[in-house]
Amino acid sequence: MTVMPKLEDLVDQSFDPFVVEKLSTGDCPDPYPRIHELAARSPVIEGSYRMQFTDVPDAQMGHLPQVMVLGYDAVLHVLTNPEIFRNKEAFAPNLGKSFGNTVTVMDAPEHTRFRKIFQKAFLPQVVAKWGESVVDPVVSRLMENFIHRGEADLIEEFTHHYPFQVIYAQVELDPAQGPTFHKLAIAQLLSSIGLPQGPEASGKLGAFFTELLRQKRANPGPDLISHLANVEADGEKLPDDVLVSFLRQLMNAGGDTTYRGTSVLLTALLTHPDQLAAVIADRSLIPAAIEEALRWEGPVSSTFRYCSVDTEIMGHPIKAGTYINTVLASANRDPEKFPEPDKFDIFRKNTVRNLAFASGPHLCIGQHLARVEMTRALNAILDRMPNLRLDPDKPAPAIIGHLLRVPEHLWVKFDVS
Amino acid sequence: MRAWMCMNCGWVYDQATGDPMSGIAPGTAWEDVPDDWKCPDCGAEKADFDMEEI
Repeated sequence: MTVMPKLEDLVDQSFDPFVVEKLSTGDCPDPYPRIHELAARSPVIEGSYRMQFTDVPDAQMGHLPQVMVLGYDAVLHVLTNPEIFRNKEAFAPNLGKSFGNTVTVMDAPEHTRFRKIFQKAFLPQVVAKWGESVVDPVVSRLMENFIHRGEADLIEEFTHHYPFQVIYAQVELDPAQGPTFHKLAIAQLLSSIGLPQGPEASGKLGAFFTELLRQKRANPGPDLISHLANVEADGEKLPDDVLVSFLRQLMNAGGDTTYRGTSVLLTALLTHPDQLAAVIADRSLIPAAIEEALRWEGPVSSTFRYCSVDTEIMGHPIKAGTYINTVLASANRDPEKFPEPDKFDIFRKNTVRNLAFASGPHLCIGQHLARVEMTRALNAILDRMPNLRLDPDKPAPAIIGHLLRVPEHLWVKFDVS
Repeated sequence: MRAWMCMNCGWVYDQATGDPMSGIAPGTAWEDVPDDWKCPDCGAEKADFDMEEI
């Protein structure tokens, strides 16, 4: 039998990573006018995306040569040419320090080998089964806290918690340790702004998962960690450092991006009541609503690649050693691909896919789970919160941030049935 | 239901819709998809697809 190891909290228990995190993601209300201005000037512009919106220095990347790549075709070119635009050098100074030797910090052939093993645990037919068994109970439990009130802050009381709790349930973590996990999962990323709580959180999560893996190898169960701890590829188990790094990243990315994606989806529908009404009347519109929310305000506005050889992008020369700010948000709001790109429109007829989950070999492993979670969450809200509307007595929701965008609050009212 | 699925990303090839953005017309059988065609989402080779229960 597995005795769940205890996760140690940060030494400074009063440290609040959620407040500090906002320093690195910023409070920019609308980065898109600037993004459009830059993209109209050129698909390649010297400098960093981050420094367009904040004066907070980037301790890990700020001193490195950087360009921004903007527009759908240029961004897709970078993402789908991994032999030129590499991940390892791009993410070693940031996510590599937070998570360790994760697949995000690898390139082929190492990446190809490990990616398939991890993806197998998150294929559509696998995560679809989690919808009923894992996602619905978490969603239902959280809704019980406010469903009787007729009003709620859907960010503070729901979206900020449910995707993290889905991940905790899937790896059978002790619910009592949930708040500490959430805190450390976020604190890991603070390495990027040079705070000591970043490596401290990474170390404590690493120690926890190393012990948990040891136990799951000795006494495997039906849970995700047992599966990953014992799965073999070409007769080899996943190395501990790769697996622990993946679990660190899962604790963060598996929750954080879905929290932001669901928050934006709900905000978009509530601020476009005609489209909310259409979805209520026809739930088959939910997939289109999710894809449009992901396009309109994707969870991650920009990602990095490292240019490994002298090359060019759309005719613009790029020197080997340049770090590429690959501005996903500019691709998803490219007027050449998405007419009236700033408009949220679930009836939009697209001729290309949105790049919210990126493209190429590093396409988000958890994208299918994210869609299952967003679908289940939206269906539950529409089922149990009739006459859902913005609370007219509270401030309207405002999506903020230049890199990871989300509203801080989404105050709603609904009828109590 | 079983379908051809990319083992690198989980994208599913639907014969009814094909992959028009990559020049594969709706209705194209999997066997007629060229060997040099790549997964439209992640760029994996056709050989990286397996028949999976979905």
